[in-house]
Amino acid sequence: MSAGTIVAEGLTKVFHTVARRPGLGGALKDLVRPERVPKVAVDQVSIRVDQGELLALLGPNGAGKSTTIKMLCGILTPTSGRVEVNGVVPHADRIANARQIGAVFGQRSQLWRDLTGRQSLEVLRDMYGLRDADYRERIREFNRILELEEFWDQRARQLSLGQRVRCDLAAALLHDPPVVFLDEPTIGMDVVVKEQVREFLRDQVRRRGRTVLLTTHDMTEVAKLAERVALIDHGALAYDGKTAGLRDLAGVTWEANVTVETVPALVDIPGLRLTRAEGTRLTFAPVPGAEAGDLTPRHAVRRLIEHLPVTDIRVEEPDLEDVVRQAFRAGR
Amino acid sequence: MRITLITELSQPTRYVPQLTMVVIQLALTWWLWRALYAGVRVSAGLNVTQATTYALLGVLYLQFKSVDRWSNGDSMVQLMFEGTIAYWFTRPVSPRRWYLIRMCGDLAYGGAWALAAYGACWAAGVVAGPPSRAAGGAALLTLALGLVITYYLQLIVDLMCFWSTVNDSAVVAVQFASSLLSGAFAPLWFFPGWFQRADAFLPFESTLNTPLSLYVGRLPVSALGAQLAVQVAWCVGLALFTWWLWRRAAARVTVLGG
Repeated sequence: MSAGTIVAEGLTKVFHTVARRPGLGGALKDLVRPERVPKVAVDQVSIRVDQGELLALLGPNGAGKSTTIKMLCGILTPTSGRVEVNGVVPHADRIANARQIGAVFGQRSQLWRDLTGRQSLEVLRDMYGLRDADYRERIREFNRILELEEFWDQRARQLSLGQRVRCDLAAALLHDPPVVFLDEPTIGMDVVVKEQVREFLRDQVRRRGRTVLLTTHDMTEVAKLAERVALIDHGALAYDGKTAGLRDLAGVTWEANVTVETVPALVDIPGLRLTRAEGTRLTFAPVPGAEAGDLTPRHAVRRLIEHLPVTDIRVEEPDLEDVVRQAFRAGR
Repeated sequence: MRITLITELSQPTRYVPQLTMVVIQLALTWWLWRALYAGVRVSAGLNVTQATTYALLGVLYLQFKSVDRWSNGDSMVQLMFEGTIAYWFTRPVSPRRWYLIRMCGDLAYGGAWALAAYGACWAAGVVAGPPSRAAGGAALLTLALGLVITYYLQLIVDLMCFWSTVNDSAVVAVQFASSLLSGAFAPLWFFPGWFQRADAFLPFESTLNTPLSLYVGRLPVSALGAQLAVQVAWCVGLALFTWWLWRRAAARVTVLGG
């Protein structure tokens, strides 16, 4: 297994909760004989991320993304399945695993509230046993993009969300880990800071060759950062492949919006089907299967002009958010 | 130690009220025991100096044995509740060791304050020294083991968070029991015989009553061997139990939510 590789096979996590029965009698029964209900949070997920790759793990709230990432980090012990990060079973050897991974859980900070950002980083430096020269070099590198020095002498409790997460990113990468897990790192941030974080991540993947597993709800982030995505829904893997390939799963594709002088009695364009007609405004989509052949948007425009009295034409690609939404619907 | 010191000293509002309370409690305790001994030379085997010294040192133990981690969001129950306990499992220091390091920091910090307060009390003449160097040494040795037992008892309470984050009442109950049964509220020699006999089966007595009784001379130095044996037995038993507990806790750690 090469450095920076994440492998999970048949990863499953089942939590047990106690079902609360209604009323006083129910409360007494719960006390004497609690009813434990299994809840499958992650179900047979198999995934592989190679060195220098950034994989975006997508899914609705409660889909199992965070549980998956916590098993890969070694925090949670899987109920069944196999997981290895750089050849180490994370939950079995947490110390060895800790030296090769960095983790940011966007809604949770690893900084100490009453210490300044810089002091927290120094504590982590000591914890990882970093040489002072390496520490200074890395801080200089992180500071270049994350601009930490603007706020790192403030206590963590006084930092804004964006500042806090930038410090958390530095904290996670301080020991130069080949694998990084980011669980919704940009949640709640403004666009400027988001872009700063994205630039940092791009830099870390491309220049430093880090392997990154990212969960996010931000589709712009996915479009800008990830060439590959994995979709998790109801704990199961619904898709794992190229970001562009999501369209096939979702069954959504580009649309051609055409305005015509007059609507002909019969609209029959080879390879295209009419999906909507509002007066002289017609919308066409490729016939399923046609897109895979010769029918590119450019060809479609040509055919539409040949067959219709077109006054205006516009081809629209669906945005990633629509694609993912459709993909989840298709998967259910 | 560094985290404890920086977080504490950066906020005078945290330690100024506590120091004020300590001074008031020490003064009230001194007056109380002086008043109780008015017209009495010896009670429960202790004279006024012994009883007052025991009670005042009990106050110092009570006030400085732990550091308030709640107000900076670093108590175990808060870490569990907020999910930041996750980071304890992604660092190259095991949670067990990290907890120990934290507690050593707390102990060093609290111990420094306690030592300063002890020096001030001694200089003011309200606390007497041990009857002999041997008694002082025996008290120090048993205090060290007593602190180890206190550490394990606190660890058990904190590890309960892995099973239930609603452990507030357990924390309060253990703190009360620990203070009462260790002798921090009042010297155990004044309690009824049945209470003392029952207490002997619990670890709390070994944490404070043993070192203080040796310090004030209520227990002879010749009793050191037996007391050490009891303390060591508790240390070993609690160490094994918490080792098992940590294994269970680490295997079942749950951090729900995103």
